[in-house]
This record gives sequence, C-alpha cells and structure tokens, in this order.
Amino acid sequence: MIHSQNVTIRRLTALLLAALLAGCGKSSNPTPSLTIAVNAGVEGTALKTAAQEWGRQNATRIEVVELPYNNLFEKLLMDLTSRTGSYDVVMMDDPWFPKLVEGGNLTPLPEDPAGDFIRSCLDVCRHPYQAGKYYALPYVGNSQLFFYRKDLFDKYHLAPPDTWDQVLTAAKTIQAKEKMYGYVARAAPGNAVVTDFMPILWAFGGNILNADGDPAINTVNGVAALRLMIELGKYSPPGYAGFNADEVSAHLLQATAPMSINWPAWIAAMDDPARSKVVGKIDFAQVPSAMKKGQAELGTWLLGVPSGSRNADRAFQFITWATAPEQMKTAALRGNPPTRRSVFESADLKQKFRAFPAQLASLETARPRPRTPLWNEIENAFGIYLSKANAGSMTPQEAMKRAQDEIEAILRRSQ
Amino acid sequence: MKGRLPWIAPAMVLLLALSIFPLIYSLKLGLKPAHFERMFHDRLFHIALWQTLLFTALALIAEFVLGLSLALLIDGLGRAARLFRAGLLMPMLLPPVVAAVAWRLIFNPQFGVLNGTLKGFGLDTSHLTWTNGEGAALLCVVLVDIWEWTPFLFLLLSAGLQSLPQEPLEAARVDGASWWQTTRDITLPLLKPVVLLALLLRSMDLMRIFDQIFILTQGGPGFATETVSLYIYRTAFRFGNFGYAAAMSFVMLAITTVMARSLMRVMKTK
Amino acid sequence: MKRAAQFAVATVALLAALAPVYWLITISLKQEGDQFAVPPLWFHFAPTVQHYLKAFQSGAFTRYFANSIVTATASTVLALLLGVPAAYGLSRFPWPKLSFWILSTRMLPPIVTIIPVFLMLREAHLLNSLAGLTIVYTGFNLPFVVWMMQSFFDDVPRDLEEAAMLDGESRFGAFLRIVLPLVTPGLSATAVFCLIVAWNEFLFALILTQTESAMTMPVGIAAQVTQYEIKWGAMSAAGVAAMVPVLLFATAAQKYLVRGLSLGAVKG
Repeated sequence: MIHSQNVTIRRLTALLLAALLAGCGKSSNPTPSLTIAVNAGVEGTALKTAAQEWGRQNATRIEVVELPYNNLFEKLLMDLTSRTGSYDVVMMDDPWFPKLVEGGNLTPLPEDPAGDFIRSCLDVCRHPYQAGKYYALPYVGNSQLFFYRKDLFDKYHLAPPDTWDQVLTAAKTIQAKEKMYGYVARAAPGNAVVTDFMPILWAFGGNILNADGDPAINTVNGVAALRLMIELGKYSPPGYAGFNADEVSAHLLQATAPMSINWPAWIAAMDDPARSKVVGKIDFAQVPSAMKKGQAELGTWLLGVPSGSRNADRAFQFITWATAPEQMKTAALRGNPPTRRSVFESADLKQKFRAFPAQLASLETARPRPRTPLWNEIENAFGIYLSKANAGSMTPQEAMKRAQDEIEAILRRSQ
Repeated sequence: MKGRLPWIAPAMVLLLALSIFPLIYSLKLGLKPAHFERMFHDRLFHIALWQTLLFTALALIAEFVLGLSLALLIDGLGRAARLFRAGLLMPMLLPPVVAAVAWRLIFNPQFGVLNGTLKGFGLDTSHLTWTNGEGAALLCVVLVDIWEWTPFLFLLLSAGLQSLPQEPLEAARVDGASWWQTTRDITLPLLKPVVLLALLLRSMDLMRIFDQIFILTQGGPGFATETVSLYIYRTAFRFGNFGYAAAMSFVMLAITTVMARSLMRVMKTK
Repeated sequence: MKRAAQFAVATVALLAALAPVYWLITISLKQEGDQFAVPPLWFHFAPTVQHYLKAFQSGAFTRYFANSIVTATASTVLALLLGVPAAYGLSRFPWPKLSFWILSTRMLPPIVTIIPVFLMLREAHLLNSLAGLTIVYTGFNLPFVVWMMQSFFDDVPRDLEEAAMLDGESRFGAFLRIVLPLVTPGLSATAVFCLIVAWNEFLFALILTQTESAMTMPVGIAAQVTQYEIKWGAMSAAGVAAMVPVLLFATAAQKYLVRGLSLGAVKG
C-alpha cells in the first residue's frame, strides 16, 4: 500500500511537471510561425485562405485564431494593451482602429502604401485620421449598398430607391400587393442597429458628434431619422428588433422581404442558386438620400501588426503580399470585396461580379463612423436606446435624449 | 502553534498570492470616490443590479420548490429512486457553457427545436422570439438556470430527507396523520438546516452568474439580460475601464459577503 | 399520491432533464439539412460523424481538449499536494478563524479577482499559457480541498496516529502511512470535484487565453457562437465531447456528491 502510494505520487508529480513544461515550453519553436486573429464570419474567410496559402509558400506555420465579432475586439484590446505578442497580424473593423492604435500599440507601416488603394479605405488606416502615419492596410473593402428587388420595382412601376421616401412608398406597395414584408431592418442592440441607423441619420443631416466633438444626436434631424427607421420597421418582419445581419440576409434570400441596407459580403449569396431564391433579381444601388445626399457607411477591415509581436517583419511581409493587386484579385474571386481600384475595374472581374461598379462608387464616397477611441462605448450606449425605440418600449425623442445624455457622460469621463 | 505551521504554510502562501493579494490590488484600483460617484449615477449599473437580484429571486424560488417537490417525490419511490436520481443529476454536471449551448439550440427562433415543434403543430412562431426578444429573454435565461440547477437542490434536499430520523415520522403515521400533515409539521421543520444551506449556496452562485448568459444572450437583447458580472466584464474588457470595474466588483463582494456570513452561521450550527 | 402517478411525474421530470442533452447529441449527429427540419426529427435521421471529424480533425478542438485535460489534471494534483497537508494540519490543530477564512475565499465572486489576476499574470508573462491557467485553477480548488478533506480527516480518530507517534513514528510518517490510506475515498472524491470545477471553468479561461495553445474546451465552444451564424455542428460536437469526461468523473464520485456540493456540511 505504501509502495503503490509512492508510485502514485511519483506518477502524479511527473504528470504535473509535464503539464507545466508543456505550458512553458511553447516559446522554443523551430519552425517560423505567424499567428493571425480574424473575425469569425464572411469577412475572415478570404484572409484565412490567403494566410494558409502564404504559409505554404514561405514554409511558415500559420495559426489562425477565429473569434466572434465582440470577442475579437476584446481579445485584440487585451493583447495590444498588454503587449503579450500573442497575435502577429490582427484584423480590425475600422471603427475599432482609433482605440487600438492608441499608446503606440500598433507598429507603423515600414513604408507608405503604394498603388491604387481607394482613398477612403486608406484614410482610416492613418492616425490621426487622414493626416498621420499609416498603421494598417485595408483588406476588406466594405461599404454599404442598398439591396432591392429590381423585378418587383419594375412590376409595380415604382420609382427607384433614390430617397428614403421612395423606399417607404415602395415598401408599402410591395407589402400590400405581394405576400411578403415591405422591408427588413436589423435592430439588435449594439453594432447591428447602430450600423443600420447611421446612413439614415446622415441622410437626414444628423450626426453623432458635431465639429467640436460634442454629442449632437438629440436634434430634430436625429429624431426624424429614428422615426423613419421605426416607420420602415412597421413593414419589417416582427422581431426585427433582435435581428442581426444574417436574419436580414435570410429574409432577402428567402424572398420574404424585398429590400434592405446590406454589406457587399452578402452579394455572392444573393446570386448563389444553392442559397438564394432570388438569383439575378436583386439590384444594388447607392444608399438612399433624404435632405442630404445618401452616404454609405464605411466598414473596411484593416490588417495591422501589434507592437508586441515577435514576428513583425514576417507579419508585414504577409500583409503587404495579401494586399498586393494580384492577391486582392484572387481574394475577390473568393468573395472578398477588394480595396484597390484596379481590381474593381478589371474587365474579367466586372463581368463576373455585376455589382462591382456600384461597390466602387459606394466605397469612394463612403463615410466612416466617428474616429474616436470611445466608439465602442458610444456604440454600446447608443445601440441600447436605438434598439429600445425600435422595439417600441421607448419613444424616439426619449431614446435620442437618453442616448445623448449617455454619450455626454462617456465623453466627460474620458477627460 | 508551531506544530501546524509546516502543514498549512504552502497552501497559505498560494492562497495569499491568488486571493488576498488580488483583493488588495483591486482595492487600490477601484476604491476611489470618483468611481462610487459614477456608480451612484450609472443607470445601467442599477439596471444590471436589479436584474441580477430579480434573476436570483426567480430562479431560487423555482429551483427550491421544484427541488423540494422532486426530493419528496423520488424519496417515496423505493428502489427505483436510484435510477431516477442518477438521470436527474445530469443537467447540473454539464459544463455550464455546454448547457447554455444546448438551450441556444432550443430557443433559436428560426432554427431551434422549440419553435420547430410549435411550427409542426401549425402555430405561427414569428412573434415567439424567446431569447431574442426583450420581453421574454430574462425569463428564458431563468428557465435555463432552473433546468440546470434544480438537480442541485433536489440532491441536497434528498440527502437531507434520507438523513432524517425515522421515529417522529413513524409516530405520526401510527397516529394516522396524512402525508401532507406529516410533511408540513415534521419533515419540513426538520429539514430547515439543509434548506437554508442549499438556499444560501445557490443564491451566492446565482448572484455571480456569467457563463450561461454570456453564451445565451451576451447580456442582450439590449440590456435585457445584463447582470452585474457581465456589466463588470464589459466595462473592464471591452471599454478598458479597469478601475471602475474593480469598484463595481466591490459592491458585488459586499453583497456576497453578507450572504456568505449567513451561510457560515448556518453551517456552524450543524 | 398513488404509486403509478408518482412514477409518471418522476418520468416526466427525468425526460425534461434529459431531453435537451439528447437534442444536443442528435444535432451533433445530424446532417446540416436535418438539423433545422420542421417538424423536428427526434429519431428518424441519417446520422453522420462529419461534425466530429470537422471539429477534431481540421478544427482546433483536439488542442482545446488536450488543454482542458492538462489544466484540470495539473491543477487538481497541485491543489491536493498543497491542500491535503493543510487540511490535516487544520484537523489536528484546529484554528477555526483560519478555516473560515479559507472557505470564504471560495465564496469570492470570480469577477472580483479576475482583473487583478489578469494584470498579475500579465506582469509574470504567464498570460495565454497553460501554466498560468493551472496556477489560477489551483487557487480555485485549494480552499475546497482544504475544507472537504478537513471533514474527512475529522472522521479519523486521532488515537491511531497518536499510538504510532508514541512508538517513535514522526507525525508526517504517521500521516502518510496511517491516516492517508484511511481517507482515500475522500481523496478520490475531492480530486474528482476539483477536476469537474477546472474542466467546466469558463470566465478565467476566456480572459486569460488568447490562442489555440492555451484555450480550453469551454472557450472553444463559445467561439462557435459568432455574430452572423452559429456553427451548430461544430458547437454541438464539441459540447458532447466536453460532456463525456465530466459525466465519467461524476459517476466515479457519486457516493460523495452531496458532501462535496454542500462543502462538507451535509454528509450524503
């Protein structure tokens, strides 16, 4: 009994040591490696494939960490501020950039990006915005488009969706005459509802922050914009106050709704017979106008290199390769919206992707969300009230007022 | 005094490092008047606190009633009780993340089995948004906790029932008392210490609920299922406000300390 | 209440407890088209193992599973190595205030210590490492080990070791050769509880790990819930895989389940 106990103790100690060594010994790795953090969604797919390819070509071991949107931001924030160096290349949604670039947590590009990158995509890679050094390269050229059923618009002789009023009229008509809803919005709190609301807000002349950087949403224009969104919501499927992008697309694909704001990443699905009941029937227009001309919201995904990374050179090699014209073209063929003009204008791609001209036009005039490191907090607070207003548990005036108060508090605290 | 030191020293060192030291660090980070002032005005924090208390109360009452009923029921089943007991324990043993995942599968409005079954009966489920709808989300989360942790109360109360002295019950039976009378007048009072213990243990775990809500709704939709733990997590790790998060966690600590003290007192009287 | 009715109700309760788990298992074995069929397919579907293959062969779950095993085992062993002697010490030289304090650390809401622990591990360069996670889990399990084992040691009369010590045996020797063998069942049960706690843990693993090399099963499963879609197949396959060890552990310790859950207060 004593002997067996000693043996057990020895075995357990050995196991323990092995466990600890396994944890400590990870740094002594002979093969060169690169760890990439990507978004677990359509945007990350093309980058993942490109990374695997590059890894094979350069005898480098690629580790891809795929995380859901919110958790990706949290992990990036943690890694960048702690300089843990767990990630060599990080994929960032452009609104996150001002927060993540703070404190020198991203390494500036060794040389300025050359070539035909679209201006709006490059601007968000600079800190300060539009003026400073470059800290990232744009990979996913995302800016909003208005998806609508051209066939139904033609059938009922509806005016094209150039203004939000025309959109509303069309929604009413189609809902009355067809067996479908008139519109589909997404109003799940947080990123979903804010992203859908911004273009409407801007079209009505509203803003989140004014020129002085003070909150300016609680204005007549702001409330009017929210009213329109709720009005459109009346023609949306019930429960839209909890919808995210995939529910919106599902309704378009299943022909249960005829129009919506959406991102280019979903264009491929619309024309895919395996997933879509409306192949070839959806057209892609610019975001509708109201008092002001419609401006698409920019949502590019950027590739950056954390300052804590131990493989910075390799990381820059990779992102330069991935954003080079030939690779952008390959990625485009895999469904990734490009960020270079030449790719948009290449003849064979234009033939394959009928929405390219619309995408390019949208991208060139797109407007990014406010460049403040507090964006996440602002979006969180704003999103709660926007969603409540859409769910009907708050009036638009009340929602805008509360949101304004909350954003003021956020800005005040950061001083 | 000297005799015990070598026995307990290594454990104490680790505990000091992982419990006391972080606590002091947390104090330094969070104990600033500015944070408490902010907490006083922070509407979202108040809502989170309220929702946590509501969640705790609803889940606790339901779990207790169901757990007690099951314990009384299974107790009377004789030999077969063992089989039932083993099966009924399963929800409690799962990793909470897995339980939450299973229920996400059930609640999903488009693809879940709940709406799927109802649709199969011909019902229109377009308004049944379960965890996606602000109204029902909190109740759905409570339901998941009830499913997962009623076995805990069942197990403890069952053990309590089995360890009860048999003579008073026999005596009552001989005197012709009905099942309900016996239960109400003899069983339940004798069970009180175990009941208190179970309630306190469970309520402390309920107050700091995180895993299930993170997976089921991440605090949404909006703020509908936000609890204190989630709000602290978000404040620290999404907005980077570590100091304020630490301050809020102290309020949590204060509340659970009060609960823990009561628990200790109950356990000591055993 | 009549016996038959009792059995009926008990059976309904049993089904309610097991149905969600059963559903999870079926989702993990169904083809994608079948997963969302209306009316739902409870029994009649063509099973497939593609989700398991995808999660474990091409996915990272083999790594997550291994990480979970390593951290759970190592932290349990460490907690026992440190906690059992401490429990013995507190049993033979009672110090109620200390025992109380040790137990109260178990009551700390994790969210209170997580921020400082995160910052501490960052300083020590132990973030995103199995070693760091193991240390944290040992800290979790230690108070529990002390409290549980103390109750088992209290059940062992002192005369046995005292007789041995009168014969010239050292206290440590008596502990090792006489007392310890008598509490082996308690040791096993405590070990199992520690394994379960570490295996199921989510919050600390979520915050303290960043890449595959350190992520555990719960974190891996949570990562399948994305903003746009939920990878039902991988998620359910991983969920089922994560369930199995816990159920095995629990079956091994079922005799002491009640004592463990009530922290030694109720001797089930």
